[in-house]
Amino acid sequence: MVSDLTKYYGNFRALDSVSFAVEKGWVYGYLGPNGAGKTTTIRTMLGLLKPDQGKVQIAGVNPAKDPVQALEGVGYAPELPTLQPFFTGRQMLDFMGKMFGLVKQARKEKIKQILDLVGLEEWGDQKIGKYSKGMVQRLSVALALISDPIVLIMDEPTIGMDPEATAHFRNLFTTLSKQGKTVFISSHLLDEVQRICTHVGMINKGKMVFTGPITQVLEAFTQQWVIEAELEKVTEPIISALKKLTCVHDVKAEGNKLKIELKEKKDLRGEISSEIFKHKGVLLGLNLHRITLEDAYLRALKGGQ
Amino acid sequence: MDGLRRVAVIIGYEWRRALAKKKFLALAILVFALQIAVFLVFNYLFAHPPSALETLLEQARPLMWTVEVLAPQGFFTVLVAIMIAGGSMSEEYEHGTADVLLSKPITRIEYAAGKFLGGLSLFSFVAALTTVLGVILSVTFFSPQNDLQFVLHVYFAVVYSNLVFLSLAFMFSEVLRGTTLSYLSVIGVFIASTVISGILTVVHMITQDQLYLDVSKWFPDWCVSNFPNFVTRELNISVPLLGGTFVSVGEPETVLAGALIAVYTFVFVVIALVKIQISDVTKKTA
Repeated sequence: MVSDLTKYYGNFRALDSVSFAVEKGWVYGYLGPNGAGKTTTIRTMLGLLKPDQGKVQIAGVNPAKDPVQALEGVGYAPELPTLQPFFTGRQMLDFMGKMFGLVKQARKEKIKQILDLVGLEEWGDQKIGKYSKGMVQRLSVALALISDPIVLIMDEPTIGMDPEATAHFRNLFTTLSKQGKTVFISSHLLDEVQRICTHVGMINKGKMVFTGPITQVLEAFTQQWVIEAELEKVTEPIISALKKLTCVHDVKAEGNKLKIELKEKKDLRGEISSEIFKHKGVLLGLNLHRITLEDAYLRALKGGQ
Repeated sequence: MDGLRRVAVIIGYEWRRALAKKKFLALAILVFALQIAVFLVFNYLFAHPPSALETLLEQARPLMWTVEVLAPQGFFTVLVAIMIAGGSMSEEYEHGTADVLLSKPITRIEYAAGKFLGGLSLFSFVAALTTVLGVILSVTFFSPQNDLQFVLHVYFAVVYSNLVFLSLAFMFSEVLRGTTLSYLSVIGVFIASTVISGILTVVHMITQDQLYLDVSKWFPDWCVSNFPNFVTRELNISVPLLGGTFVSVGEPETVLAGALIAVYTFVFVVIALVKIQISDVTKKTA
């Protein structure tokens, strides 16, 4: 649970009264543009940064005050991590296992299992300095899993991974949440978040703009349906005429395509096509669709909640 | 017990980290090379003694092990201590590995304690190697050697005296959080301290004014350079003019030097611990 979290870097307010709660078994997607405060939130949650106001509790314990108890059940994979290049992957996992107090036999078994899980079984005895960016990312996730944590905190976990690995890790996170683990993922990959997250939080300029179930965020930002029209040629009179329609919220032109946002959840393709024909437009296609998480996200950032 | 286990894990980690650094290994090899060079010089002198030094060399011969053990003291051992501790904390911040370590169930004090004790134990290990090498060379080539029962005394005196610059480097590493800046700062303090206290000592010798000598004692270099020599003089195992005792002026002030080492070390370590306890873990910069 993050409550009223405020963090300043000098005079710059990086987090402004950020609050959200993540329950057991959720996959929580934390979204925001670069510099929004995602990593600052995560680093404060882990006790790496000291908040100027507010508090963080992981399983009821504040990590800034009692990091040992609070972080015992937490696995963390930082964004683009730099891992100790003088260790091999296996040695690094062993070292982390020791940090969590795992006994030798348990470490040995767990390391083998996790290297298999992240697809690094053949690279376990190579120095980390020889790893590619994607492999370091995989190892970083492996390190987060070494202690069998109940809470996983991942900062852009699939960055640098190939599509196959990305899909593999998406499935892994979903599986882990089904096992009762709480997964917190900071990401800018909206498609990824939409696929695997049960809940989502959006932050912009240090302020939370939305937090709730992913179904709710889509619903919240789907007050208007959207019609996409493809025309032979988009003209100004057509755009003006469409904007004047009482059922239309906004019209955006991109090349020969029009994105028409409606004020109501109604299929108004008939009225739209009539208006286009009236202004001598040649219609090539007309589709009605709900807005995606990306649309919702962009609107949320503009304060359109 | 869990806290001790975590500190022990960080100590092991610190050894791995330091031993992976080529510049550290190069410096350690340089220290061993210096000892061998000292041995070669004395081996030549004993084989072809200049008439002016003949008596002195014969007096020094049974205690050549102290010359060998103390040869790197005051400069090379200080550099080794600085090399070990100067990047100990800052490199973790610069590389972003501090995030990985401090996001684990460990308190910052345990982490810093592990780092400091890891550096200290590594330094002690290097000092043990130089001591063993010095004793072996002396026993093998300048036999018989006297008073070898005091080897451990001299060894601990060397380790203890070097706590000052080890802890100063550790403090700069945590406070400045930049490795280059940390090395430059601690080496700057070391050089400035050596030069100023040296000048003050020379002025004292010329003017016989005690004030100069008293002021020079408060520079960290004074206690670091002199403590092992004071110990050898207290034990009657110092080698006049050859064992480094020429840098000590007047009566041995072992207690004062020892107390100053303790105070300096305590202050530097406490500053580092307070800094890590109250500050954010800075993001990677390299």
